[in-house]
Amino acid sequence: MPIRPQEPDRSHEPVRVVAKHHALVRWSHWVNVPLLFGLIATGLSIYWAAPVFVHPRDPATHSRDYLADIGAAIARGLGDRGGEPRFWIYDHLSLGPRQLAAALRLHWALAYLFMVNGTLYLIGLVAGGGWRALLPRLSDARDALAMIRFYLGVVPMAILHRPWPHPPVRSKYNALQRAAYFSMPLAGLLVVLSGWAMHKPVQLGWLERLFVSYDIARIVHFACMLVLASFIVPHVVLVVADGWDTFRSMVVGWSTRVRGEEHGRG
Amino acid sequence: MAGDETLRNVPDEAPSEPAPPPDHAAPAVAPAPRPRRPWREALAEPPEVPIEVPRSRLAAQSRRDFLLYAAGVAATAAGAWWLLPDRTKARLLPGPARDRLDTLAARAGLTREQRERALDRALTFDDDVAEALYTKNRRVRTYGRSEVTPLPNNYDGQTPGPEYLPTWSLRVSGLASGRLEHLTIGDLLGRFAHHEQVTRLVCVEGWSAIAWWGGIRFADFLAAFPPAPSTRWAALRSAVNLDFAGNSDPYYVSIDLETARHPQTLLATHQGGRPLTLAHGAPLRLLAPMKLGLKNIKAVTDVAYTAQEPPDYWSQRGYSKYDGL
Repeated sequence: MPIRPQEPDRSHEPVRVVAKHHALVRWSHWVNVPLLFGLIATGLSIYWAAPVFVHPRDPATHSRDYLADIGAAIARGLGDRGGEPRFWIYDHLSLGPRQLAAALRLHWALAYLFMVNGTLYLIGLVAGGGWRALLPRLSDARDALAMIRFYLGVVPMAILHRPWPHPPVRSKYNALQRAAYFSMPLAGLLVVLSGWAMHKPVQLGWLERLFVSYDIARIVHFACMLVLASFIVPHVVLVVADGWDTFRSMVVGWSTRVRGEEHGRG
Repeated sequence: MAGDETLRNVPDEAPSEPAPPPDHAAPAVAPAPRPRRPWREALAEPPEVPIEVPRSRLAAQSRRDFLLYAAGVAATAAGAWWLLPDRTKARLLPGPARDRLDTLAARAGLTREQRERALDRALTFDDDVAEALYTKNRRVRTYGRSEVTPLPNNYDGQTPGPEYLPTWSLRVSGLASGRLEHLTIGDLLGRFAHHEQVTRLVCVEGWSAIAWWGGIRFADFLAAFPPAPSTRWAALRSAVNLDFAGNSDPYYVSIDLETARHPQTLLATHQGGRPLTLAHGAPLRLLAPMKLGLKNIKAVTDVAYTAQEPPDYWSQRGYSKYDGL
């Protein structure tokens, strides 16, 4: 708390706070955690049945699936003899191989929830006015480079005990955050559209054509999953690095960090 | 015109307002640069307005919110665990702890049967969406013959040999005439017009293939042999009915008559301009490109029109019933 440290009874003392996130944005943010986790796990089980990225069948391993090859390499690297090495990724990140029927049922159930949740998020974004903080700005390209420079230098400079100031941020998010938080709803929209394009390529034929073909819709769907999944790691790392206030603001909705006094980095 | 006059006079008639202070009166804060484009101002982020709240109220609010979220996490974890397939549970948590969790769930009234029902309801919802999306007049996308791709035979069981072809006939029941028809391939090819189409066959597994099909329209067949008025379904059975070890493994699908009447639903006899091979369902297979491949039953031997939805091989194994694309 940056206000006034260490005083006896402070319970009635006023604290300066700013509103950060609308309740719908907060709840849909957290609901996304199990939904995305479940969608990826069931999605990989579906992917197992007919991989998208394949090569001619290897006579030695009988594999034609790059994901199975990567799994076998991981199993070899870890010395894991627990199961079929080819299925390492499917065993650890999905419901498992040969689970297509259950995986499809769960995937569709979760997909409907994901669409409802995404709609609630958008309503919260509009109701709370948060959408304005997500819009890309003309200055973002330059500011993003400054942020990348900052992130690259932050660990070496900490080791060298050199000062390494955070670039100035005049808005709710820095340029990198804005790019990430703006592209998440876009990837979410694209993953839903490509999902429908391959789930109903006949009745929603216009959507299939929008993705050129059924097979390209599958690739887009997989790529969106990778985009969504690859956001998770830096997002969690940066929130942990940024501290309690950032995490708490996504639960309670307000922050004690008033702009200009400190910069959020989550 | 009087209105215009008045409007134009407004600035002159409002001299009572105090004159604005002169701009050069050295403002304490530098004025923000005036946005030249109003739309950019509308899109700009509004300033954060700090408010003062007593610390005790913030603490109470935080406590309430964190407790709510913790309850949500617990409920989600329990629900997710309950919904997982048994094999996945066994892999995630080998040992007696899983049994204890299962017992706990059963004691709370969450049995395995209920889990299946919950998942089925989720699937029924998706099936209902598929059925609602189905439009009789919507054509399946067609392709040029140059766009044809290899069509794999995805069946791992035994396919009957060529000696079966001369003995083949199509048995049709549930007709309005009350008769039981036995038709040879010659009966069908001689009587009905031949139609060709290049469409995509989409497998539930996710792969697909574009193939050039030829055959008779199911709609023409239905018109020539009308089903009994109360019927809504067709139950189709296949001559491909042995598993890889040669054991009996009959294959049967249900198809709604609305789909059967679609002009692109064929009783296909040809693929790639040649009669069907045994691997692809000689001499006659269903081709319903608005349904998943698993409905496109090969080597049809039996068509029975029914009022109630007939059993379907894959829906009995956990897949969807409707399978509309």
